[in-house]
Amino acid sequence: MLSRRKIAEQLETAAADSSMLLERPISQWRLTIRRFRGRKSGMIGLTIVSLLILMAVFAPLLAPFPPNEVLIGKVDVGPREKPCVHLLGCDKSQPQHILGTDGNVRDEFSRIIFGARVSLTLGLFTVTIALLVGSTLGAVAGYAGGWFDNIIMRIMDVVLGFPSLLLAIAIVAVLGPGLQNALIAIAIVSIPAYARVMRAQVLAIKETDFVAASIALGSSARQILIRRVVPNALTPLVVLATLGVATAILEAAGLSFLGLGAQPPTAEWGSMLASERNNVFTSPHLVFFPGIAIMITVLGFNLMGDGLRDALDPALNK
Amino acid sequence: MRRKTTLLILVFVFALVAAACGGGTTEGTDATEPLTTAAPSPVFEGDILDAGGCDYGGRIDTIKALDEFTIEFTLCGPHPAFLAQIAFGVFGIQPKEHLEATSGAPLDNPVGTGPYSLKEWVRGDSVVYTRNDDYYGKIAPHTTAVLKWSTESAGRLLELQSGNADGMTFPGPEDYSTIENDATLVLLDKPEPNVFYLAFTNTFSPWDNVDVRKAVALAIDRQRIVDTFYPPGSEIASHFTPCSVENGCEGESWYDFDIPAAKALLAGAGLADGFETTIYYRDVTRGYLPTPGNVAADIQAQLKANLNIDAEVVVMESGEFIQASTGGDLDGIYLLGWTGDYPHITNFLDFHFAVTNPQYGDPYPAIYEPLKTASEMISAAEAAPLYEQANNAIKDLIPMVPIAHAGSAFGATTHTEGAYAPPWGQVMFNFWDNGTDTMVFVQGNEPISLYCADESDGESLRACAQVVEALYSYNQIGDVQPQLATSCVPNDNLSVWTCSLRQGVLFHDGSKFDANDVIASYSAGLDASSPLHTGNSGVFSYYDYLWNGLINAEG
Repeated sequence: MLSRRKIAEQLETAAADSSMLLERPISQWRLTIRRFRGRKSGMIGLTIVSLLILMAVFAPLLAPFPPNEVLIGKVDVGPREKPCVHLLGCDKSQPQHILGTDGNVRDEFSRIIFGARVSLTLGLFTVTIALLVGSTLGAVAGYAGGWFDNIIMRIMDVVLGFPSLLLAIAIVAVLGPGLQNALIAIAIVSIPAYARVMRAQVLAIKETDFVAASIALGSSARQILIRRVVPNALTPLVVLATLGVATAILEAAGLSFLGLGAQPPTAEWGSMLASERNNVFTSPHLVFFPGIAIMITVLGFNLMGDGLRDALDPALNK
Repeated sequence: MRRKTTLLILVFVFALVAAACGGGTTEGTDATEPLTTAAPSPVFEGDILDAGGCDYGGRIDTIKALDEFTIEFTLCGPHPAFLAQIAFGVFGIQPKEHLEATSGAPLDNPVGTGPYSLKEWVRGDSVVYTRNDDYYGKIAPHTTAVLKWSTESAGRLLELQSGNADGMTFPGPEDYSTIENDATLVLLDKPEPNVFYLAFTNTFSPWDNVDVRKAVALAIDRQRIVDTFYPPGSEIASHFTPCSVENGCEGESWYDFDIPAAKALLAGAGLADGFETTIYYRDVTRGYLPTPGNVAADIQAQLKANLNIDAEVVVMESGEFIQASTGGDLDGIYLLGWTGDYPHITNFLDFHFAVTNPQYGDPYPAIYEPLKTASEMISAAEAAPLYEQANNAIKDLIPMVPIAHAGSAFGATTHTEGAYAPPWGQVMFNFWDNGTDTMVFVQGNEPISLYCADESDGESLRACAQVVEALYSYNQIGDVQPQLATSCVPNDNLSVWTCSLRQGVLFHDGSKFDANDVIASYSAGLDASSPLHTGNSGVFSYYDYLWNGLINAEG
């Protein structure tokens, strides 16, 4: 038989344990972060993306020259000089250009660094616009159903029927070339993916008990959609958006490569690659480095997106 | 009996001899028929292209077939550059019947008299030619010639290096040393007269102010552009016309680079803080502009650095750009150039600065008036002072800024004998001998069509030239030589030219070449009311430009 004192101690311990549990509940997001940390590829992606963001933010400090500065007459270099790094044995009498100079005698390294600003801005803005418009349309269509759902989703099907880059080219052809129009074009072609995912989520969630409870409690459709349905549907959209940034950057580079995106002298990786494509044999570094920059950025966002998906997927975490 | 037999044989032999001799004097009759019943020689009915006078403003009054092999061009005034002009490939001759059968649009099935006939045009890939074994000139050493294309000069060079091609057009400036250092390749200097310029349209502000135009002219470091972006052999332009063209460099040389003077002019125009404008160009490589994107970006940088002018660079689709720039519809600076079509100064100056050209906005009388007078002068020496006057007026009024006369070249494999790059006209593949049955040449773009009367791009003209010939042509060093005509003789004031045509020439379809084919080909291009005036776009720009307008043109 337990003594009174013993029972009191046990009750105290139990109470302490339960209070600890109450004080430190593990939220879904914290759990996700913990899971994400455990995924090496995701962490590599996050590191790459973080470095790119830092590079973009501190570009003026990192770049040795302004991106559009023509160095003719200022530094003793010519067009398409090969990379010269003094630490790697390049003669010190030569001016140092880590990635060489481009066809207009501008420092390639500086342009690559500033190019990160353009690509990241474009990727993030595009996805934000597409996410906002797409998820709103998808949520309303999924919740309202009926003819409205039909119209919205058929329009989305039509947009999805075209290859995205081809449709983006067509839109830019109408709007005119330029970074802003490229951004709009890529955002438009990205909308259906978000709309479809959001609609599918809404269709599933609106049948759940807590939504039924909200209806029973007299909540309006708008309240239910905004407070109950959308927050619970965001998880796959976050993954999609992360992967979407990579796609948007790639498509923007593609448009710029075709001369439809960034216009000279903007330092944008796609247009940098395009302007030197004819010199792929004589100055391969001018094609290689912008290409590598695009590849690393896309890889970073894809790895991060994959990591997030794994971390957010309950089935994978059982 | 034997006597009768002998007499009969003699009569028979006499009849045979008589018949044989008679065939030579009655051309076109059947030699086996008695002379008395021979059909009369078909009378040649010569066609005529009649403009009905010269009031329409063009150069042609009539073109008349005097007989089967004689053509008379009656012009509206003296035309010293007549021969050089008719040698241009767009004035190629095709059979009248073929033009009629194709309703004036033999876009992909030209029939000519050249060293090759067209075998097939594989869209997107190549044009394949078969040797014309009946050619009256140099017969090709190979049975097949293939014309391919690759937009990037690096791609063309790769074709050459890999042995897939025997010749290529226009290596990139950076590829010159690659070719020169490769023992299997040879760089063929192509001394084509050309000019690259940036221009303004004076109907748009601020280009209506000559001081603003002059400020830009003074603030562009042309030497830097030539040194940085042009291949060896290029030079800054002292005049619009290259000095290799007679009278091209009469008058004062262009302005030197002078930023303080440029700033002062801009300040005087009330634009001391600069202004915003646009630089338009097309991303198409030409001999006169080998790296358009780089040059546009550099001019943009120079304008910003030297005059604080913010210029947005706009790349336009090629056709749209040409139409807008030559129509005077661009409100900013545009980058354009010119490669001579025929070796005469009129091809540079008259084409660009004639009163009819809207390219620079309102035309400048101080430029076009001396040019018009000079173009009708027979002696080049007598015309020289007028060209001096015109060149000086161009310098004063600055409708454009001449930047560079570009050096250009072709590339070829070393083992190909006879490879050459002509200064004028098109390279002819029948002179190239790679020692095999197939010769391959790679150029920058696919031809637009193979009916070159209605085309103006070099890629189409090169493809057409292998099949279709004109009355005259340019030889390998650029001199004019008779081709389908054996000679064209002018009257005293060079306003009537009588051309004798080459006899016995057959078209690739087997039909006989005669004077009516010349009339039909010229009518198709020149006479806007002709049922044969169809073509590809129907514009026939070179007929329009070089003959000062089309006959029966509306408006």
